[in-house]
Amino acid sequence: MSTPGVRSLSASTLSGLLILGVTGCGTADARQGDGSDKKITVYSGRSESLVKPVLEDFQEASGITVEVRYGDTAQMAAQLQEEGGRSPADAFLAQDAGALGAVAERGLFARLPDEVLDKAAAAYRDDGGEWVGVTGRVRTMVYNVDQVPRADLPGSVFELTEPKWKGKVGIAPTNGSFQAFVTAMRVEYGDARTEEFLTGLKANDAQIREGNAPIVADVDAGRLASGLVNHYYVYELAKEEGTGVDDLEARNHFFPNGDIGSLVNVSGVGVLEKAGDDPDVRAFVDYLLGTGAQTYFAEQTYEYPLVAGIATAPGLPSLSSLNSPDIDLNDLDDLETTVEMINDSGLV
Amino acid sequence: MLAVGVALIPLAYLATRAGEAGWDRMADELFTARTGELVVRSVALATVVTAACTALGVTLAFLVTRSDLPGRRLLGVLAALPLAVPSYVAAFAWVSTLQGDAGVGSFAGFWAAALVLTLVSYPYVYLPVAAALVGSDPAQEEVARSLGRGPWRTAVGVTLRQVRPAVAAGALLVALYVLSDFGAVSILRVDVFTRAIFTAISLGFDRTGALVLSTVLVALTALVLLAEQFSRRRAARYARLGGGAARPPGRVRLGRLRWPAVLGVAGVLGAALGVPAVSLLRWFGEGVSRPGSLGELADAAANSLGVALLGTGLTMMLALPVGLLSARAPGLLAMALDRLAYLSHALPGLVIGLSLVFFGINVAYPLYQSVWLLALAYAALFLPLAVAAVSAAVAQAPPGLEEVARSLGRRRAHVLRTVTVPLAAPGIGAGAALVFLTCMKELPATLLLRPTGMDTLATGLWTRTSVAAYAAAAPYAALLVLIAAVPTWWLSARTGVLTRTGG
Amino acid sequence: MAELRIADVHKAYGRVRALSGVHLTVRSGALVAVLGPSGSGKTTLLRCIAGFEPPDVGEIRLEGRRIAAPGASVPPERRRIAVVPQEGALFPHLSVLDNIAYGLDRAARRAGRATAVLELVGLAGLQDRMPHHLSGGQQQRVAVARALAPRPPVVLLDEPFNALDAALRAELRRDVWQALRADGATAVLVTHDQAEALSMAEEVAVMRDGRIVQSGPPELLYGSPADPWVAGFVGEAVWLPAVLDRDRADTPLGTIRLTALEGSAPTGTVRVLLRPEQITLVPPGAPNAVAATVVRRDFYGHDAMLALRLDDGTRVAARIFDPASAPPAVGDEVCLHVRGTARAFPPGERASGRRPRGRRPSGPA
Repeated sequence: MSTPGVRSLSASTLSGLLILGVTGCGTADARQGDGSDKKITVYSGRSESLVKPVLEDFQEASGITVEVRYGDTAQMAAQLQEEGGRSPADAFLAQDAGALGAVAERGLFARLPDEVLDKAAAAYRDDGGEWVGVTGRVRTMVYNVDQVPRADLPGSVFELTEPKWKGKVGIAPTNGSFQAFVTAMRVEYGDARTEEFLTGLKANDAQIREGNAPIVADVDAGRLASGLVNHYYVYELAKEEGTGVDDLEARNHFFPNGDIGSLVNVSGVGVLEKAGDDPDVRAFVDYLLGTGAQTYFAEQTYEYPLVAGIATAPGLPSLSSLNSPDIDLNDLDDLETTVEMINDSGLV
Repeated sequence: MLAVGVALIPLAYLATRAGEAGWDRMADELFTARTGELVVRSVALATVVTAACTALGVTLAFLVTRSDLPGRRLLGVLAALPLAVPSYVAAFAWVSTLQGDAGVGSFAGFWAAALVLTLVSYPYVYLPVAAALVGSDPAQEEVARSLGRGPWRTAVGVTLRQVRPAVAAGALLVALYVLSDFGAVSILRVDVFTRAIFTAISLGFDRTGALVLSTVLVALTALVLLAEQFSRRRAARYARLGGGAARPPGRVRLGRLRWPAVLGVAGVLGAALGVPAVSLLRWFGEGVSRPGSLGELADAAANSLGVALLGTGLTMMLALPVGLLSARAPGLLAMALDRLAYLSHALPGLVIGLSLVFFGINVAYPLYQSVWLLALAYAALFLPLAVAAVSAAVAQAPPGLEEVARSLGRRRAHVLRTVTVPLAAPGIGAGAALVFLTCMKELPATLLLRPTGMDTLATGLWTRTSVAAYAAAAPYAALLVLIAAVPTWWLSARTGVLTRTGG
Repeated sequence: MAELRIADVHKAYGRVRALSGVHLTVRSGALVAVLGPSGSGKTTLLRCIAGFEPPDVGEIRLEGRRIAAPGASVPPERRRIAVVPQEGALFPHLSVLDNIAYGLDRAARRAGRATAVLELVGLAGLQDRMPHHLSGGQQQRVAVARALAPRPPVVLLDEPFNALDAALRAELRRDVWQALRADGATAVLVTHDQAEALSMAEEVAVMRDGRIVQSGPPELLYGSPADPWVAGFVGEAVWLPAVLDRDRADTPLGTIRLTALEGSAPTGTVRVLLRPEQITLVPPGAPNAVAATVVRRDFYGHDAMLALRLDDGTRVAARIFDPASAPPAVGDEVCLHVRGTARAFPPGERASGRRPRGRRPSGPA
């Protein structure tokens, strides 16, 4: 990221603090723009390495300068809530639907035009039209091919509380994706069944990890037989190790028949109220849902494109074939009870 | 007043938000079994770490300043360096080291966090105690020896009692640091207040709940402060007896314990410095994630230096009057101002960050997302470090000198500039160094408040570790630790363990 | 040169009353010693004069200008009253010359005032030293030079010779006295050492419990103390029971003439005050000689103090000069004779004050 802001700021830190401050104020003042000023500010809860190439392509193609602020999705949602109507942000690119829902709930997003919303399937956008999905990610079970015979793979995530999986399942209970999955389970099956599942996992000696990546790494290294993660982590591991995804010991297993274990969640984008009519912001959203960006996500981050007609990464089943459970993603913004239940189960 | 105003921003913010939440909501949130557990666990962690840091810090300080420990100068300077290692880096290093070697993957939980936090925060005790031991008056010890006390009993009964104020000040910082730390407890999965606050925001998008929990943290801090105040009242100020030139105190002979002591100190340093260093080297070696361009790294380093310097400057400017007041006019007002500065110190950076977002949006909009607001956040976070350093330094400069200067026809301001500040300068400099390196390490508030598009070493490190690109993250971590090590080195050198001709 | 006038100054710290109604006038150009035991309030008085503390009640005037009164205090930097604190309190970060030049304006600096004062206190050539490279005595000299440099009308000295050894002390006293005189400054010296006060000052004010109990020239104080406490505080006292007979007193040491007094003198049974040097040894058989036995002998070099017991049991002390020539030993019988006059005090008054911390043993009571 080599925006003018970064360059001038570093130069000035070397030349003196006073100028540094002036530059700082300069960036602060420059954000009061409206109409087409060829400049937009994006808050990105998605990590820099994933979205930076897309944003650079967009800048090049449109001539619109993108000021990006990277951060943790949830903390950025909190920041947007705190900033309210005076936020410098024009658009919020979030890692998951829950964060978008939380911002939308405060009435901070502008309603997106129908032609934008219609690009994504109904399941992957806000019913009120305040945000739209950009990419999809699927919960999967990652397993070590040497330790788990294909025939033993479960048909449902609920089977993981059975004795034969004792001590063999890794989970990341503090991770947002896991939380979203548990929330979805509550929506679909009710709190009692979910609680039973969580305590069952605990009783079955589920292996706790800090995040998805460590689970996949441990499964690949044979330290763990299996784990519940998002589908793209095996691809990232393959990339980091410089091998093909089929050369890993770790493989994805998608729960069949619309099982809640293979919930589809989305990353998405919302436009802040004040930028609702900004053509530059609209161009940005259109770009994210356009062929170029969607192809990039499919090929480089191994996520599911949510716009029709774009091919998924090799080896992934199609979204429609997953027959994923019918959950309103907006319902996933109430994670409070989920967190409480996970805490109560003793998994944390 | 301004300084305290800054320190009060987070508290005012908390009060506003908690007020919005209303009493019922607060009661719902607070009076639960979980909150009780959090209180117990947070207090237990703070207690264990503070006790361990006190024991470790005092022992190390004693060994390097008052014993014939072989290699004590080098060890003495190295012993302060863990201060340069951010807790999240240390925790990560430990986890990856233990996982890599033994394949256990179970380095987590209360005791793991206690270990890591102790290793990164004992210098808060070690540094002031070492300085106090070097500067303390040997007369009392000589008297004790002449009354037939052996060297060890003298060390325990007289020497350590003399440096009690330094121990208490360091222990207070450790306790507050542990309460506010998020890096280590999140990586090592200890459910304490900071983690609950982060979890509430990260998973529940529940700002209000998080802030209500934060008020409990403020209350805990108030308790810690009261306890410290109590111990301070009972502790006698150490005084230099009589006039004459300061002479170096004697050293205790370790005898047969010499080499075991060296091994012990080396073990601590190995755990505190070696583990992160080896782990960073492994990050470099492992994986193929591109290391990122040198330009980006240099930009981040320059930005880190810039904002840390700005933050340090602002913090010291605000701290000077408060420190002066509490050292020179120790009354109720000064004490209240001093304590208020501490009150928000145990709040996690995320809450301070949010409070300054609130402040920036509603009060100081032109400053929002400028480096100035970030500097202000650093001031709110680290004011106590600076105030403590300034007031200790000013207290060392005898007030009699200022009176003499005034009786020679010089105005207060002139006296302040020509006598008080020059005399306190080394101490004030030490405070500035401490604030600087803490600013360098700060992450959550920096993430929230930095100007859009600006990366620092800490945020760069975060960006890369959050996608598990460790090879790319390693240079950021290494550079961060190295830059932070410079003021740390200076800090420990000035305690006198190097030169040994203090006075 | 300036007259300092202190009227009815009170000062309390919480419930401790440090000053309770101090009156003192220091003539322009005079050197006055404020003498008192520790805790008598003398340092508080000095701090009030310097402006470091405001008085609760009363006022302080310098050359007729009011510089301190409750609620209306001139700050220390505008009083032109310099202070030489205990143990010097030199600025440790400044060289000797910079210390001395601290209070000087640019013109005075250029005129070489600092070097001149340095010479005045006998430290020429040491201007570039740092304070911690100086001896205690040298540090005190620099402190005096620093105070004198801006030519302040008033200089306050707070037990400035306290920490020094005896030989150094005498030399420094003399030099400081000369320096003060050379500048003609009005000086107030606060001390608990009666020898220092009596030897240096033109006038001594004795303080006790926050009040000045007597002030006057040293000779007057020593010879005619206002009360038994002052008598004991400013020197060795020999107390004898006596019966008055007009201007004479009958005592165990014989009949002694009384000091002429203004006002009413006590009558009847009294106590009379003698100084040990008034009691001399005489050859046996001399007129009016009284026999006594030597109980103890303290040898000081230039003199010696004898503790003696009269035949009726009364204990007295005698200071003998030239003690090297065959002094009496403990147990010897000697004959005593009294020179000069005695001062009479009412019998009930006890010398309740603490004795000065001198190097002399207290005389027999």
